[in-house]
Amino acid sequence: MRLGPEAQRRIAVVLADVFGEPIDVALDIAAFLDGYLQRAPARAALGIRLGVWAVTWLPFALVGVPLPGSALSPATRARYIERWAHSRTYILREAFYLLKAIALMGWGAHPSVRARLGVGPLAVAHPDART
Amino acid sequence: MTRDSHIDSADFVVVGSGAAGASAARVLAEAGREVIVLEEGPEVRQEDRGLGAVESFLRLFRDKGTQVAMGRSVIPVLQARCVGGTTVVNGAIVWRLPEKAYERAFGAIGARDAIPLAALEERMDRIERDLSVGPAPERLLGGNGSLMKRGSETLGWAGHPIRRNVLDCQGSGRCMEACPTKRKQSMEVTYLPRAAKHGARILPEHEVRTIDMSAARAVGVTGVRGDGSSFRIAAKRGVVLAASAIQSPCILRRSGIGPREHVGQHFRLHPATAVAGVYRDPVRIWEGATQSFEVDHFRDEGFKMEVTGLPVELAGVRLPGMGQAFQRAMAEYPRMAVWGVQIRAEAEGSVSPANGRSDLRYTPTPADMEIFRRGARRLAEMHFAAGALRVYPGVHGGPDVIESPDDLGQLDELPLDPRCWSIISSHLFSTCRMAKDDRAGVVGYDGAVHGTRGLWVLDASALPTNLGVNPQHTIMALATLLAERLV
Repeated sequence: MRLGPEAQRRIAVVLADVFGEPIDVALDIAAFLDGYLQRAPARAALGIRLGVWAVTWLPFALVGVPLPGSALSPATRARYIERWAHSRTYILREAFYLLKAIALMGWGAHPSVRARLGVGPLAVAHPDART
Repeated sequence: MTRDSHIDSADFVVVGSGAAGASAARVLAEAGREVIVLEEGPEVRQEDRGLGAVESFLRLFRDKGTQVAMGRSVIPVLQARCVGGTTVVNGAIVWRLPEKAYERAFGAIGARDAIPLAALEERMDRIERDLSVGPAPERLLGGNGSLMKRGSETLGWAGHPIRRNVLDCQGSGRCMEACPTKRKQSMEVTYLPRAAKHGARILPEHEVRTIDMSAARAVGVTGVRGDGSSFRIAAKRGVVLAASAIQSPCILRRSGIGPREHVGQHFRLHPATAVAGVYRDPVRIWEGATQSFEVDHFRDEGFKMEVTGLPVELAGVRLPGMGQAFQRAMAEYPRMAVWGVQIRAEAEGSVSPANGRSDLRYTPTPADMEIFRRGARRLAEMHFAAGALRVYPGVHGGPDVIESPDDLGQLDELPLDPRCWSIISSHLFSTCRMAKDDRAGVVGYDGAVHGTRGLWVLDASALPTNLGVNPQHTIMALATLLAERLV
């Protein structure tokens, strides 16, 4: 399962607001999502892909604006994201947290984020590993 | 799937290479028996170690880390799927079975004579020597563990450095990514090589689908290799199921073996949740032993608290705030301590095979949720006692943040709906539980499946109930004891 370039661009705009990151970092996170979808088990990949679709295309249902999430004004998009995160409907809330959890793995793996937080590289090489 | 007519054989076929399978294989191989260990997952190569949470999930975990139990809420259930099983990715915590827990598990089913506590303790002594078990030294407590120590001492709660199976730990804080320095004494670096030294053959990427039976006797197993080809392996003396509390009952169910009212039922967990605290000074949670300190002061109340070295790529999921608020919260990650509470839940769920996967059903009871609420409150209290500036409970419907110990009372009102909580579990029990006969369980006191010959279940699924302490040590001791009786 893939996330095409346009789908990546749209979700990146939303993720940039979720994580408070510039769009270039958010585009990297969207590319990570695409890579993750290709390696995840089919059922999980389907759930995540549906989550990406829903977060991209449901502003009309949640904030009454017939535009994709990426085309909302910053203020409306912030309200839209809050509606997902604090929804009283468990399945909506969890769908958002599932997407956030996977995207967060891409965010936390991003070199610029790790450098900013001072946590060192994602992978470690240990020359003193026992053999 | 392609056909493969080659049939291998051994005295014993051991299904699963984790804590139970490796322990049984070591005993049987050292006794001179021919042993084949079948592991569904891949070998753990040096290049698979220490790669971060994402690669660890994708390479080493069942369903690539996406396995969940469904019920009133969705609960991630973490299990490894690799040679060495979950011992490769756990926190290396070794807990001797306390007498009270022994009584709840084995005493309650009348197994004191068949499985004496003293016999388990003797095996635990040996395992502890073999696996270099000892308490985490002060230098490995890290900021996370040192703060829990301070908090528990301030409150007068019983706590101590965690006893771990690690030799010369380097404190890289990456236990859950397969120890990058191979210091953790998990099964792929200890009992499996030892079994292999005595002739055991360990076959990765061999998934057992069914047990082959002849006149109620297990005579072999049939399954699928990683490349899609099928295999069959004959067992001259018998089959030892040690594939975990999820896979073992699924294999029995697919094989039509065992009492249906018990196989895959009575699924018990130690569900867990976490509470984060932010401190004035750097904590640097990623340094030191991944899990270095625990507080078992409230074990008789049904919960136990331990530090949890969450990497940055997992730590922010339940933190409140979006955009700049999220950035502000995550900027505090270097000053954040994350502690978990695990509960001895009374809920029972179920496990069954479904379309090549496992269908897990589980919902904590209201009483379990009450314990969670008490545990979360205690964690927050301990954070403040350790000097936290603020605490993030992470429960939907509760306060996003607690800024003062004076506000801790708000946590007494946390909702009890499991859908409001972020719950996870990795300790799994009792889906082929031990009982005197098949009216109450699946296996007898010797681990043999009731009504069969040559078929034993020696893993956590055979435990009569959840233990209230980390189970690896008990699983290994029980598998060792019962395997000795097969020799």
